[in-house]
Amino acid sequence: MAKDKDTDKKRVLKPERLDRTPLQISVNLILIALFLLTYTYGWRVTEIDISKLLSPPDGLKGLVSDLFHPDIISRDAKTYRVYRTYLIPCDPTRERAGEVGEGVTLSPDCGNIGDIVTIAGEGLRPNTDGTIAWRTQQGGTKILAQFKTDENGSFSFTTRVPEAPPGQTKGQHGAEVILHWEEGSLQLSETARQVLDKMLETIFLALMATTLGVVLAVPVSFLAARNVMGTTRVGMIIYFLVRLFLNILRSVETLIWALIFIVWVGIGPFAGVLALTLHSIAALGKLYSEAVESIDPGPVEAVQATGANRIQTVVYAILPQVLPPFLAFTIYRWDINVRMSTVIGLVGGGGIGFLLIQWINLIQYRQAATAVWAIVIVVAAMDYFSAWIREKLI
Amino acid sequence: MLLEVKNLTKVYEDGTKALTNVSFTLDEGEFVVLLGLSGSGKSTLLRCINRLVEPTSGQVILNGKDLTAAGGAELRYMRRDIGMVFQHFNLVRRSSVLRNTLSGRLGYNSTLRSILGIWSQADQQRAFQNLERVGLLNKAFNRADELSGGQQQRVGIARALMQEPRLVLADEPVASLDPVLSHSILKYLEDLNKEGIAVLCSLHIPSLARRYATRVLALNNGYLMFDGKPEELDNAKFKEIYGQDAESLEE
Repeated sequence: MAKDKDTDKKRVLKPERLDRTPLQISVNLILIALFLLTYTYGWRVTEIDISKLLSPPDGLKGLVSDLFHPDIISRDAKTYRVYRTYLIPCDPTRERAGEVGEGVTLSPDCGNIGDIVTIAGEGLRPNTDGTIAWRTQQGGTKILAQFKTDENGSFSFTTRVPEAPPGQTKGQHGAEVILHWEEGSLQLSETARQVLDKMLETIFLALMATTLGVVLAVPVSFLAARNVMGTTRVGMIIYFLVRLFLNILRSVETLIWALIFIVWVGIGPFAGVLALTLHSIAALGKLYSEAVESIDPGPVEAVQATGANRIQTVVYAILPQVLPPFLAFTIYRWDINVRMSTVIGLVGGGGIGFLLIQWINLIQYRQAATAVWAIVIVVAAMDYFSAWIREKLI
Repeated sequence: MLLEVKNLTKVYEDGTKALTNVSFTLDEGEFVVLLGLSGSGKSTLLRCINRLVEPTSGQVILNGKDLTAAGGAELRYMRRDIGMVFQHFNLVRRSSVLRNTLSGRLGYNSTLRSILGIWSQADQQRAFQNLERVGLLNKAFNRADELSGGQQQRVGIARALMQEPRLVLADEPVASLDPVLSHSILKYLEDLNKEGIAVLCSLHIPSLARRYATRVLALNNGYLMFDGKPEELDNAKFKEIYGQDAESLEE
């Protein structure tokens, strides 16, 4: 009962809804219409098509599978080559040249084009894949067969001596048997090695760009801080110019800067460093200058009162106050730069992105997957690392 | 005559008239207390003397030199003779007590040396002596924000002493401290006054003014209302300075 009473009271206390004027209603209708129009147009202009999303092409399966089977490890590739000569026509006095290896015999070992010849091996490496090729005197090669040795290391293959081009029919021909297998401990594949190499370049690209960016952004940020520059007319002019400069720098994306610098200094990591540096200066300059503007003005006043000049005031009264925020912004920027440096290679700015786009264009998705996973791991590790540093320092 | 303030007027950009035609003189060895309500222009007056605030018109003459006409380097040179102590201490909270103290010496050191943090033996000695004087030698390497309010203000005094000033401006030096600490801070100012450093100290408690001042100045709404001995500050004068509604707390 008591509860009912309460709700009754609330209903009474609730203010009556105000009647809306026709003007308000029409304004609301226009707003709703605008809202609908905006999103309808947006839907069409961005070609949103759910049905495409729900019926993926056949290639997607392979791509996803490749993504989960990156090319990372392999064993040492070994080969064993045997070469046995075959003379056309038979001539016991003729020297046989260039025979290598053991364990393969030709029977017979001379004859004519079209004769039956048996190529047999024994005592070779067991259960091993191999290829048999026929070589003419002038070095022309024809693959005859792929085979696999049995558990005793034997194989046998019978064929006819293949046709040779005119003029090459006589002389020393021969059979070349090559066994190939993988041996030894697992090791990084060639792809993985390339990825590691480029990943290192990527990390150093981010490091150089962040460092250069910080070194240049610190002085710039003081020029872009109102409380430092606002004391004189000249200072105010510099302040506005620097702000304008930073805004312009910031409004151009890193990838576009990279394209400009590629024309300037050529394709490679240097262009990437320059592009990232420029964007770091712009972003950090703004963040730093805001930190400078939000300091406690008291110490500045006190240090100025002692007769210190502008630079001394900055070093003794402002820097100690802005160091913690500067550090936080720097680590944040380092995070961004690591991420950006992984994609800046897409346009030729050096780093892992260069390999990635190359492999994607060649439809080598397993290799591309290696690069993608490397990026994921490095970015995640850097995120974790910077969080750890932030915790320790700030 | 150490300091002469002539017709000092300050109008802020928003049109606030903080000071109107303030004139007075200050001799060596004087301990002058500046009284007035908050907003009466005390802080502005003190800051106009060392030009932390740029006066609109009028002159400040220190040792016969016109401070208001001095340019950048000359102004900094003249500022070395004027120490300043602040209501909120204005220490760099994250820096050490020693570094805060040494910063009082910046006006005497080259930019390069001070940026690199190179201080002469003499300056370091001076810093330790001044910290010892305010009883904080054992806190020299603590961060400033680890100190209590009273201790921080003593560091502020040590910093001002580093300048070897001839005049110390103190802007409400005890207003943000526990009242029981007021005397401990003002005693330090009194001590250095006895050594020949003139003190111009703004306060808002008349009883403290009577206790320490050799002379009292009083501001009301930017006008200098009173310039005389502390004994002359009777109840009628008091009401003139603080307005009819004011009642002195101690009497």
